[in-house]
Amino acid sequence: MEKILLKNVGKPDSHRIDTYLAGGGYKALEKALTIKPEMLIQMVKDSSIKGRGGAGFPAGLKWSFIPKDPGLSKYLCCNADEGEPGTYKDRGIIENDPHLLIEGMIITSYAIGAKNAYIYIRGEFVFGRLRLEEAIKEAYEKGYLGRNILGTDFSLDIYVHAGAGAYICGEETALLESLEGFRGQPRRKPPFPALSGLYGKPTVINNVETLSCIPAIVEKGPDWFAKIGSEKSPGPKIFCVSGHVKNPGLYELPLGTPLREIIYTHCGGIRDDKKLKAVIPGGVSAPMLSEADLDTPMDFENLAAKGSMLGSGAVVVMDETTCIVKAAYIIMRFFSHESCGKCTPCRCGTPWLTQILKKLEDGESRPGDVKELERLCTNIFGRTFCPLGDGAVMSLRGALKHFRDEFVYHEENKKCMVAS
Amino acid sequence: MVTLKVNGKEVTVPEGTLILDAAKVAGYDIPTFCYHKDLISVGSCRMCLVKIEGQKKMQPSCITPVMQDMSVLTETETALSARASMLEFLLSNHALDCPVCDKGGECELQDMVCKHGPHKGVYAEPKIRFHEKDYPLSDVIVKNSNRCVQCVRCVRVCDEIVGRGVLGSIERGAHQEETSFLKTYLDCDQDGMCIAVCPVGCFMRRPFRYRARPWDLRGSKTVCPYCGTGCRMTIQERDGEVVRSVANEEDGFNGIMLCARGRFGYDFINSVERLKRPLLKKNGELVAVTWEEALSVIKEKFGSTGGDRIGAVASARLTNEEFYLLQRLVRGVFKSANIDSTSRWHPASAQAFISATGINEGGTSVVDCLGSDTVLIVGSQVSDENPVTDYFVRRTVRDNSTGLIIASPRAMKLDSSALHSLRPVPARNGPLLKALTLHLYKEEEKKLSGVKAIEEIKGLTTGGLASSAGLDEGELKTAAERLNASGSVSVMAGIDLIRYDEGIDSLALLVEVLKALGKELRVLPLLDRCNQRGAWDMGVHPGFGPGYTDTESGLGCDGMLEAAREGRMEAMYVIGEDIVSLFPDEGFARQALGNLKFLVVQDIFLSETAKLADLVLPGAGFAEKDGTFTNQEGRVQAISGLLSPPGAARTDLEVIGAIGSSISTGFAQTDPEAIMGEIRKEVNMYSGVKGAWGEGTIVKASGSGPKGLTGAKKAAKEKKEKKEKKDKDYPFELVTGNHLFHSGRFSRRAAILKGLLKEATVEISAEDAETLGVKQGDRVRVKGMHYEAELSVKTKKGTKKGVAFIAENYEQVPVNRFLRRGEAIARVSITPL
Amino acid sequence: MLSEDLKKEIEAEVKKYPTRRSAVMAALTMAQLDKGRVTAEDMREVADLLGINPVDVHEIGTFYTMYNVERPVGKYHIQVCWNISCSLLGAEHLIEHIEKLLGIKLGETTPDKKFTLTTVECLGSCGTAPMMQINDDYYENLTGERVEEILKGLD
Ligand SMILES: Cc1cc2nc3c(=O)[nH]c(=O)nc-3n(C[C@H](O)[C@H](O)[C@H](O)COP(=O)(O)O)c2cc1C
Ligand code: SF4
Ligand code: FES
Repeated sequence: MEKILLKNVGKPDSHRIDTYLAGGGYKALEKALTIKPEMLIQMVKDSSIKGRGGAGFPAGLKWSFIPKDPGLSKYLCCNADEGEPGTYKDRGIIENDPHLLIEGMIITSYAIGAKNAYIYIRGEFVFGRLRLEEAIKEAYEKGYLGRNILGTDFSLDIYVHAGAGAYICGEETALLESLEGFRGQPRRKPPFPALSGLYGKPTVINNVETLSCIPAIVEKGPDWFAKIGSEKSPGPKIFCVSGHVKNPGLYELPLGTPLREIIYTHCGGIRDDKKLKAVIPGGVSAPMLSEADLDTPMDFENLAAKGSMLGSGAVVVMDETTCIVKAAYIIMRFFSHESCGKCTPCRCGTPWLTQILKKLEDGESRPGDVKELERLCTNIFGRTFCPLGDGAVMSLRGALKHFRDEFVYHEENKKCMVAS
Repeated sequence: MVTLKVNGKEVTVPEGTLILDAAKVAGYDIPTFCYHKDLISVGSCRMCLVKIEGQKKMQPSCITPVMQDMSVLTETETALSARASMLEFLLSNHALDCPVCDKGGECELQDMVCKHGPHKGVYAEPKIRFHEKDYPLSDVIVKNSNRCVQCVRCVRVCDEIVGRGVLGSIERGAHQEETSFLKTYLDCDQDGMCIAVCPVGCFMRRPFRYRARPWDLRGSKTVCPYCGTGCRMTIQERDGEVVRSVANEEDGFNGIMLCARGRFGYDFINSVERLKRPLLKKNGELVAVTWEEALSVIKEKFGSTGGDRIGAVASARLTNEEFYLLQRLVRGVFKSANIDSTSRWHPASAQAFISATGINEGGTSVVDCLGSDTVLIVGSQVSDENPVTDYFVRRTVRDNSTGLIIASPRAMKLDSSALHSLRPVPARNGPLLKALTLHLYKEEEKKLSGVKAIEEIKGLTTGGLASSAGLDEGELKTAAERLNASGSVSVMAGIDLIRYDEGIDSLALLVEVLKALGKELRVLPLLDRCNQRGAWDMGVHPGFGPGYTDTESGLGCDGMLEAAREGRMEAMYVIGEDIVSLFPDEGFARQALGNLKFLVVQDIFLSETAKLADLVLPGAGFAEKDGTFTNQEGRVQAISGLLSPPGAARTDLEVIGAIGSSISTGFAQTDPEAIMGEIRKEVNMYSGVKGAWGEGTIVKASGSGPKGLTGAKKAAKEKKEKKEKKDKDYPFELVTGNHLFHSGRFSRRAAILKGLLKEATVEISAEDAETLGVKQGDRVRVKGMHYEAELSVKTKKGTKKGVAFIAENYEQVPVNRFLRRGEAIARVSITPL
Repeated sequence: MLSEDLKKEIEAEVKKYPTRRSAVMAALTMAQLDKGRVTAEDMREVADLLGINPVDVHEIGTFYTMYNVERPVGKYHIQVCWNISCSLLGAEHLIEHIEKLLGIKLGETTPDKKFTLTTVECLGSCGTAPMMQINDDYYENLTGERVEEILKGLD
């Protein structure tokens, strides 16, 4: 497949506007500004692109919810909070090809009628933030940002807002709270951000990767895009592979590429040619899969059918030496550390689960611990304020589904089965 | 209307109703923690999850509105187990120290676990301990975070109702803790609203801690004895001491709201300094005597002084029944027309105020007022003087589109809720109100052609008026435009208008003009004494009788003092009013009272005035008597005695009755119920007053309406011309009024409030402070023409430059020494020490 | 005390947003730059500058993990990622190794105030795990020897 998102990665000075322009950059913007905003939204709808941030919501549909009233100020927020463990694709784009994102944001802002756009970048990405700020400056200098872009009526300012260490701020309404200067706790929905978002104004929030697909859709047309990969969820996707593979890294492949192909063809297989034990296909919120699921095409629908999800496309590979109880503990520890504290089941439930998992792992289990884990999962799932709590449960349930024996072994024998 | 099913039962409720409330209608109680009807719902605690048929996930009923044909299940096994599991989660990190917790017995968590909770705790992991010992957040608030259930009501109430925002959520996740900045002492309103909303023993009253278990308390419903807002509350005693006052959510218009004075100001009742027996001056010393002796002296002295040589002044904190009986005593037995309810201002100004605000025409509720499109607050530092009124305003503005305009020289908390805050120079409400009126006239000349009074201001210019008020013409115009664009307007008029004896006729004119413009208009007086309105309604005023009827006119306090000084007055009967401390010219008051042949002071403390008395009679406090108060809205509410007066002290009603019957046989009438019966018959406005419990009754004028009240303009003319001196040696204008923790003599003896007050302050604008080179807390000398004092500085952003404020009731700094009778406003200089 | 220059920089941040409050995160980040931590005084000044209550700043300073509110850290703040991808590739050994090298435990600071060692949740560097961050810089594909080299190179 021709690379779309990572095409400039590896070029010298790939982050510079000159490199970007030399590769045909900002052509899509020139074209977009000659098209009516409604038409652009229709094009994005026709491309069938689904959000790449985790939830997979159709981007064109989201944009179409924005009120058309020109008197109303609207905002675009780019979600660059990339915090789902295993995920580092947005960082890849931001550091190596920031203009791709910026061009996507300008087109999107034009389509939805936003005059101000914010990039919420996670605070730890200091280097990425500097790259973005430089790139934005370049774009202003060349007239792609600011007043009357390319001589049209359209004006846009893009600002970078840095987070400061909170996974929950990737959740779109928590992101808005954080941008407004509050603690990043999710807001209730409805009202949805498309009607009342940032500062109470209609707001579109899209992931970096989603926005970075927009120039190609505009330039090459929605039909071209829709033909890439799976029928229902087409387009290119960056898979972030980490863990026990020979060649971890970012791989841009069509959606629907089978998991086996990613691991064995693109990543060169398992490190030290060990056996594969489990794979997390979409970041730690996504339930893990086992060897038996390796032929699943990596797209929204097929992973859902397997009881997991595509999420952010972060593939974490675990080989036979991995203790699943320990992996589950590490993941739960993460969720309980990141729970924002707003709702009861997540705030109190994730630390509770973490403590039980730690005891199982440390050989201090008590009889009934595994059942207790399952009971607590039931009491949390579907009852939390936002999907973070559900994600925590789903990850643990995935582990229990495929590897319950291992948990029971820990409970009964106070030690690990995998004993290295 | 929307029809839905709750557990199969069909109910029809208004659109937008929450499932929670619809279920209540259907007879199902859904438990909640984070939900509170006075706060913006957040839906975070997940206690109230219910099943909606056709939806996969359970939904929080506290934020989910009903929909047509919805079918809600609240009692399914999943819903019940969800409730139990939330409680299990909450208990997992709860201290479970119920036996030593102050909240025991009235704890929402306890009650809920009892009803819905898991019956066995399985949590065996270590708990998060936020701290070992309870820690204080102020002299009245103490915190135990180990009991917190994270409903965050405390932080929300502080933001949304109190308007302070001094509490926050620190850290996150399971480590989240609601507390102050770095857990340091709170600089706030100290109203304990955080305590009131806390469902568990996390925020506690420090003075009450470990004093009693709630079930050991005996209580009685009453009304707060401080300001005119008239909050309903219950006071509770243990072993003869009042130990707590609480707002009863269900009973009373104020719901959960009380301010620091209401919540913590009760303890003056317990003071050891209370007067316990009559004191008679013998050889220059006050010595204890029996009631018989006291009454016989009264009979001799009052009995022999007749007509206009005797007079009475009562504090605006007596009950309606006491006022009524007092005026009967003065008018019927003393045969005098000299009666007044305050020593602080001129009765003519009070009369003009009553007329301009329509007090004599009956009441209006604060809630109705706040339903208006626009609310104009003028002449009141409402955030300090009527704190709970301030909460009402903030809460309403938060939820509705009510536009708020505030005019006050001093910045106040409520400014943040206001559309426009106007900052006139002190005592210049006249030009301000005239300017608004003139702007309205310019916009609506035709409609206002019939308003004769307009003629008087037609010749003025809006620019001239604006500059005389110290305001920008443009801001006044914008405010006037807002008024004109509103279909309904409420004016809340405070007693600064009487204090500075200025602007009342202009208020009357504005009111007339707004009516002529066809606005739905309400006028609410903002009063700083709990029963000022009752005093006037009962005719405790030299200009009118009960129900604002015509009577022979007499002297007010000011006139009586003048007469006393000139030897035309022989005897005075003063109840509960500390004239020496409050009359705006202490020297004059002392001289005048000293000139009397016979001064009787009835009080609960030996006030400065009582020290001058020939006879001191021990009265009773609000917790020791039955009767009614009428608040600023005209709402008649009952108070009921919880304790007996200390020692030989008697209720004021009994004393007035005893005095009356000692002079005139057949006077005795000391049963408050019976007197209220008489009031209903005699005072037209009160004919509809039934039981005065619950939300009370708002008085209404009926039939031909009250007569006998001089028009505002006429009354305003009667007052003496006051000269105004500008002097560059005294660059500040001194304004006085109430302090949030301190609004009268009671608060002087309220130990808890006094503890909060720390020191007497002079408040100036942040800009003036910078010019003077002083910071908050620095000591300065405030020097007037007649008096000087050392105080510490309080700076306030947004207060008008050149304004200095000192509260009225500091013992250390009697502010009335700065004032001279006949001068409008005192000027002072401020120098750093 | 925030320097006048810093206050100017914060004002520049304020201009990005329709409300002053939105600049609170940037303000804290800047306040932390030279001292490596945020003091009570800083929070008060930031609150004053933005027209919010000090407790609002305290909330922000403690909700987000990157601010060291009243928490002193050494000249070099070593944060080792211990989330899943890094753990799979030996983050724990790395931590033990650093503990030994510096003679401190997790959460501690060396007596010379040079190093503070803590863990951190996923930093988005999973393809180059295991990794750590020292102050603002990422160090990836770590081994025991690499870490030793890196720490030696810091003065
Ligand atoms: C706990 C949580 C964390 C999230 N983190 C991220 C994130 O880091 N980046 C992101 O783009 N979306 C994240 N999301 C998803 C966003 O809420 C949102 O769906 C997304 O940004 C929308 O953009 P998209 O439609 O382009 O995917 C997260 C959601 C949840 C519930
Ligand atoms: S599930 Fe609840 S506590 Fe967890 S992050 Fe979401 S809102 Fe916060
Ligand atoms: S798990 Fe360590 S950087 Fe992602």
